[in-house]
Amino acid sequence: MKIILIKDTGPTEKTKIIYDLFNALLRDAGMHADYQVVRAADIGIYGKGVVVKIFPGDIVYQNVQEDDVNNIIDTTLKQNKPIKDLRLDFQNKQIRIVLRNCGVIDPEKIDDYIGQDGYQGIKKVLQKFDPEKVIDEMKTSGLRGRGGGGFPTWMKWNFARGVEMDQKYIICNADEGDPGAYMDRSVLEGDPHSVLEGMMIAGYTVGASKGYLYIRAEYPLAIERCQKAIDQARVYGFLGENILGCGFNFDLDIRLGAGAFVCGEETALIASIEGKRGCPQPRPPYPSIKGLWGKPTVINNVETLANVPVILHKGGAWFSKIGSETSKGTKVFALTGKVQNSSLIEVPMGITLREIVFDIGGGVLDNKKIKAIQTGGPSGGVVPEDLFDTPVDYENLLKLGSIMGSGGMIVMDEDDCMIDISKFYLGFCVEESCGKCAPCRIGGTQLLNILTDISEGKATMSDLDRLTKISSAMQKASLCGLGQSAANPVLSTLKFFKKEYHGHIVEKTCQAGKCSGLFKYEIIQKKCKRCGLCQRNCPVGAIPGDKDKGYLIEQEKCIRCGRCFDVCKFEAVAR
Amino acid sequence: MSSSKVNIDEIKKNINKKSGDWIKVGMSTCGIAAGADKVLEKFQEEKERRNLDIRLEKCGCAGMCYAEPLVEIRVKGMPQVVYGKVDAKVVVEIIDRHVLRKQLLDDHIYNIKVQ
Ligand SMILES: Cc1cc2nc3c(=O)[nH]c(=O)nc-3n(C[C@H](O)[C@H](O)[C@H](O)COP(=O)(O)O)c2cc1C
Ligand code: SF4
Ligand code: FES
Repeated sequence: MKIILIKDTGPTEKTKIIYDLFNALLRDAGMHADYQVVRAADIGIYGKGVVVKIFPGDIVYQNVQEDDVNNIIDTTLKQNKPIKDLRLDFQNKQIRIVLRNCGVIDPEKIDDYIGQDGYQGIKKVLQKFDPEKVIDEMKTSGLRGRGGGGFPTWMKWNFARGVEMDQKYIICNADEGDPGAYMDRSVLEGDPHSVLEGMMIAGYTVGASKGYLYIRAEYPLAIERCQKAIDQARVYGFLGENILGCGFNFDLDIRLGAGAFVCGEETALIASIEGKRGCPQPRPPYPSIKGLWGKPTVINNVETLANVPVILHKGGAWFSKIGSETSKGTKVFALTGKVQNSSLIEVPMGITLREIVFDIGGGVLDNKKIKAIQTGGPSGGVVPEDLFDTPVDYENLLKLGSIMGSGGMIVMDEDDCMIDISKFYLGFCVEESCGKCAPCRIGGTQLLNILTDISEGKATMSDLDRLTKISSAMQKASLCGLGQSAANPVLSTLKFFKKEYHGHIVEKTCQAGKCSGLFKYEIIQKKCKRCGLCQRNCPVGAIPGDKDKGYLIEQEKCIRCGRCFDVCKFEAVAR
Repeated sequence: MSSSKVNIDEIKKNINKKSGDWIKVGMSTCGIAAGADKVLEKFQEEKERRNLDIRLEKCGCAGMCYAEPLVEIRVKGMPQVVYGKVDAKVVVEIIDRHVLRKQLLDDHIYNIKVQ
């Protein structure tokens, strides 16, 4: 079947025009019965004008104008020749390793997973590899933990393997508490067996016969599908005793997390499985030496584990070809915020933020000006737009004062206020702090008070010094990662957007219009066409007036929602 | 050493031998939130009503949150297509046009694989 797929990827809206033109000209040429001309909803390419894809042949043309249509029909369709000037060399920037089966297989059918090379990794390992060899492969692969820290997975496994003990444990950390993150949920819901297989391989390697999947209770579907996967794996003899006839014993159970962010921290998580309060413990000893019930415990993130079967099946060397110098493989990100395509993406390490936002995300919403991207959630920071060409890996993000984190990525535009953002993340950490240690408990609250003052125009410049001082005390003296990193969003916005802090403190303005005490909406009478749209849209009736007298915003009544600002077609509402 | 309960390679061979037409609906939290369960129901209903020989399957999330509910479809003689923003009305269109008349739908294609 021959297909012509059309989509205007912006900024014009010519899909329909080019589509009609193709149909008409093909009819004139008597060729319309051979071709299906179709309008795509999304063609996977952005900002390249009208994109036309021709199948078979996979020819992609960009910036197609009305005049080009005839030429395409004559040259490409009739003579089978490409048109160089229009050609777009397009490469899909996503690579699917972790998400290899998500959206492909039925997660509730173990046979589907097996059909995609599932359980080949554990089979190979049990039949051909001793634990040292697995460690070697993992080392060659260069896989590092995807739960945020980026610790080499082979090393963690090797520590646990090195301890002589009657019992050891494997834990899968599926607590995923970062606001805006849902990578792990998607993997568990879309391909639970890959995580199970990863845990089995880890178990064999370190000598553990028991594993726990720690899943947050707010993920009922993930829990249900994991339980089904475990049941099926048991029936098939992949869990239990003498697995695949190789003398290896391993079984798994699910434990539910009650949704406290701090329970995602490994020592708190372990305490929670032990039935204690989910409070972090000082490290060392690290869990790989002394973890669950005092036994050596490997605790890995969902995404880390989902990588493992593929690494063992295809080899560590294969894996290490993907990614950057220090960070191998791919990373799954939940791309959200002011981006066209809110989506779950998997990209090779080393890709730039610009490629992520524009080539995959399709650019910013509503043609607004992009400001920054937030990575790493409450423990991370912001990267401003002028640094978007930075290749994404653990080291680079750290250098910029952010972190890879678990994979939340929030695009921010001119309407996002950096003080407001810091307040949001810090507020989250203060709320979620377990309160065990003073730097986090007291420092966090202090920081939040200062930020609140800044957002209300009540702060002075000396408060900025206090911000930095308290932040650095929290980084140094907090017991766990939550407190140590809680100030990161503050420090990072302060580093890149000091001007915004100044604006709030000195000029008492919030350019983004988020800090409601620091700006107001006003109607610019010269620009106002007296259409009355603002009045009809104001939810609190704060805009009296009529078509003759004009309109005014009553500041006492205005709740600064910005509806009038958004709806005015004449830009007659000023902020 | 005793032998294992199942033969992985045998299962793999069998599952990949399965041919025929299928429709997959993305049924993860995100898809369901966008109405994927109703889409699946509607497909089921239409399939029974019209006595269609097509497998209906569930799958996880393909990642295109902005286009949920997502449906992937393979029908003999047609390219493999991902349709997005599918609702009950679009389901009927998919059956009428894509499945029965072998015509692609406008404005809902999010991905297309031509063998
Ligand atoms: C406050 C806090 C919350 C955390 N939440 C998670 C989480 O939800 N999921 C996760 O995998 N790791 C989380 N971590 C990191 C874990 O402590 C641990 O490093 C990780 O699970 C190790 O797995 P990996 O080596 O595979 O990355 C959190 C850490 C801190 C300090
Ligand atoms: S840093 Fe915060 S969350 Fe971590 S132990 Fe201290 S009080 Fe609890
Ligand atoms: S999480 Fe399923 S499409 Fe986004």
